[in-house]
Amino acid sequence: MPVLRRANSPMLLFLPALLVLAVFLLVPYLNILVMSFRTPGQGIPYAPGWTFGNYTKFFSDWFFIGQMANTLWIGFATTLACLLIGYPVALQLARGSDRLRGLRYGIVLTPLLVGVVIRSYGWTILLGNNGVINRTLIGWGLIDGPLPLMYNGLGIIIALTHVLLPFMILPVMGAIQGIDPALGLAARSLGAGRSTVFRRVTLPLSLPGVQAGCILVFVLSVSAYVTPALIGGLRVKTVAVSVVDALIDTFQWPFGSAMALILSVVGGLCVLAFARATRMKWAAAR
Amino acid sequence: MKKRPADVIFSVYCWLVYAFLLTPIFIVVLASLNAGNFLTFPPQGLSFRWYVVFFENEVFRRAIVTSLWVATVATLISGCIGTAAAIYHVRYAGRAKEAVRLTMLAPLLLPEVLTAIALLFFVYSIGIGTRGMVGMVVGHVLLTLPFVFMNVSASLESFDPDWDLAARSLGAGRLMRFRRIMLPMIKPGVIGGCMFAFIISFDAFTISFLLKSVGTSTLPIQLFDYLRTNFTPEAAAVSSFSVALTLVVVIFTEKVLGLKIRRF
Amino acid sequence: MTTVSLRSLTKSFGGPPVVDKVSLDIRDGEFVSLLGPSGCGKTTTLKLVAGFEWADSGTIQFDGQDVGSLPAEKRDIGMVFQSYALFPHLTVAQNLAFGLETRKTPRSEITRRSAAAMDTVQLAGLGDRYPRQLSGGQQQRVALARALVIEPRILLLDEPLANLDARLRDEMRDFIRQLQRRVGITTVYVTHDQAEALTMSDRVVVMFSGTVAQVGAPDDIYERPVSRAVAEFVGRVNRIPATVVATGPGSCRVRTYLGEVTLQQSTSAAVGHSVDVTLRPEAITLVAAPAEPGAARVVSASYGGGLIDYRVEVATGQTLHVQAFAATRLAVGTAVRLDIRNDSYWLLGSPP
Repeated sequence: MPVLRRANSPMLLFLPALLVLAVFLLVPYLNILVMSFRTPGQGIPYAPGWTFGNYTKFFSDWFFIGQMANTLWIGFATTLACLLIGYPVALQLARGSDRLRGLRYGIVLTPLLVGVVIRSYGWTILLGNNGVINRTLIGWGLIDGPLPLMYNGLGIIIALTHVLLPFMILPVMGAIQGIDPALGLAARSLGAGRSTVFRRVTLPLSLPGVQAGCILVFVLSVSAYVTPALIGGLRVKTVAVSVVDALIDTFQWPFGSAMALILSVVGGLCVLAFARATRMKWAAAR
Repeated sequence: MKKRPADVIFSVYCWLVYAFLLTPIFIVVLASLNAGNFLTFPPQGLSFRWYVVFFENEVFRRAIVTSLWVATVATLISGCIGTAAAIYHVRYAGRAKEAVRLTMLAPLLLPEVLTAIALLFFVYSIGIGTRGMVGMVVGHVLLTLPFVFMNVSASLESFDPDWDLAARSLGAGRLMRFRRIMLPMIKPGVIGGCMFAFIISFDAFTISFLLKSVGTSTLPIQLFDYLRTNFTPEAAAVSSFSVALTLVVVIFTEKVLGLKIRRF
Repeated sequence: MTTVSLRSLTKSFGGPPVVDKVSLDIRDGEFVSLLGPSGCGKTTTLKLVAGFEWADSGTIQFDGQDVGSLPAEKRDIGMVFQSYALFPHLTVAQNLAFGLETRKTPRSEITRRSAAAMDTVQLAGLGDRYPRQLSGGQQQRVALARALVIEPRILLLDEPLANLDARLRDEMRDFIRQLQRRVGITTVYVTHDQAEALTMSDRVVVMFSGTVAQVGAPDDIYERPVSRAVAEFVGRVNRIPATVVATGPGSCRVRTYLGEVTLQQSTSAAVGHSVDVTLRPEAITLVAAPAEPGAARVVSASYGGGLIDYRVEVATGQTLHVQAFAATRLAVGTAVRLDIRNDSYWLLGSPP
């Protein structure tokens, strides 16, 4: 019988990562929670003492509630847009021929590899009143005046959709790829046409990937900072933008923390509700 | 096989989406070649002059160096930690496998802005503030860890545990097994993951923005600041340069990786 | 060469023991098979001998030396895996060299021995290929060569033929056996295929549920099974109800519906009690007989090339399996008479 059991030494592999995450992620997040209950300070980040005031300040002001509602709305719209636009692409990527597949896959990944500032900047060129889209449409005589595509929710949704499409496409593609091809063949042997095969085999079995994609896109769009900041400008701000303003511009650490937490909790509740609602129908496909 | 109309529509639709994905980048590159003074489109003639202005701008040059430096350090750290964690996850985690996976993906699922804020408070509360870019590097490590982890895990999924047993039966100790069996197998995943990590770190904005020390700047931050006030195509030149750099990294990695991949 | 000795080896994975107090002595140069259904503990036992698992209790000795606390890499074993486990990123030659490199063999000797090993398994000239470029049979042989080139103390094989198609399996069975005889290495072979175990082994160890049911030469296992489980696992068997008529030292007389017969076995059952008597399918000869009421009748006949498997229904309603050469073919429904040699019967559960 062995004298030395080395059963625990593989754990050493995980230890560094675990420590890094515990010390630099978990503890700081807990700290935010703590910070949100501190008393705001004048001219300094925070003052001694504890209070619920930061939270009541948020919920008693229609401005902030409206901002939250707007942020959530942007999240939903972006998620829906990504789903509708991205699903067919995911389907093509999962099933398509191999020749162009590498290229297509690369294109889907480009938004991720280019950096959010550059992407948003590109959209500012496109969406402005004097931007590419408006100039082209006016130039072709399709519209008379410029369409308001920037400094509003619509512009943010468009830009966010661009940024977050890969996060919808990749999980859906993964789910579709995981479907046993023999299932489609079996359905066809039983007389199902192509659209029936899609409707009754591919689509239902892809739903776990759709669920994952929706959650990912929603979470990322609700908490996005750069894109809403650049596209929304000073006129339209999402909660994330307000949070950063509060922290960096006006040094209101407790209030900023409270806002950030409220955003996370509300966003998390939406995700939970969604997961619950789709749990039976969608996850059952697994 | 005749192509049905539905197929054609589907194909066209997908290409439109790909165009949508590429358009903003394409626009930026085009704008950088604008001979005129403003960020207009269509460009008023083509010229490289804004690239010249950009390269002569010391602020941007310094920002590039900073970005490269931070990306390298963060990638090295993430690469080691993430690879180790991935090995643990695929081969040793057993019942804790899902829990490990969720933990490692946490930075991805949590809002970047929140993580940045959390780190900001943290570095102030332990007294170092944003000096020395420690906070920024830590933030970049957090940001890139999930990507290294996912890539290495994926390449490890095809690792047959019998290979390790066979090596043991042939007398190989731990170090030898790692060096000669494990390492060659995970190399594609590690290289791919590090490539992703480097690029993501280089392009990262929010974390850098909140954690930067006074007087230093990464390229995305510099670009962002510049965009708030300036409207010359210099920004477009900077952006195009950044995109080109990313492409070089990807292609270079593909060349190095591509040779290895064909082996098995 | 090496003797292997297992004493009361026990291993559990958090539930009932998977290997339960297994004891076994393997002689130098012997080819021993661990045979049993899935889950019987044979693979775990092999892994314990190899050193991939630590036993909860019990000892493992090679040549009288306790190796139980040594990890696999220090036990000097050669192992062939079911999936071959050839290193995909190394050539055949590099795969073979691997075990020699861990033993710090000089390069010139590695080259010499690898070449010799490849000759032995008839793979000369394929040293520069990668495993994925080889067929299943070739990969199998590389795995064998890799395990043998290091000249280990013992050779362990974990269902190595399971992934081969039937014809290749037969060839490789012979090949492995010849090779083992030539090299003379002590070998432990795990399989669930009883035909494999019987044709290849010097001795067979039949295992059920973590314990050893019977150890013996192939003919002992097949012709003289100690229990019903062993009898039914190894080959097909007919169980015939019988009543003890007379007992005596070393023999007894029983009555079955086929008649009375004297067996050269003693029984602990008293006169008048029921016992189980077994009969192998090939021990029964069918002869066409006039169709009388109460005669046995052929119910089905499956043609298998040289042999035919019959199912015959007898007067008592029991269906017997009979195997006969295909020279004589009996159609379904034919009335038959059963000819059985007296010494073909075997009484189950009789004390040794």
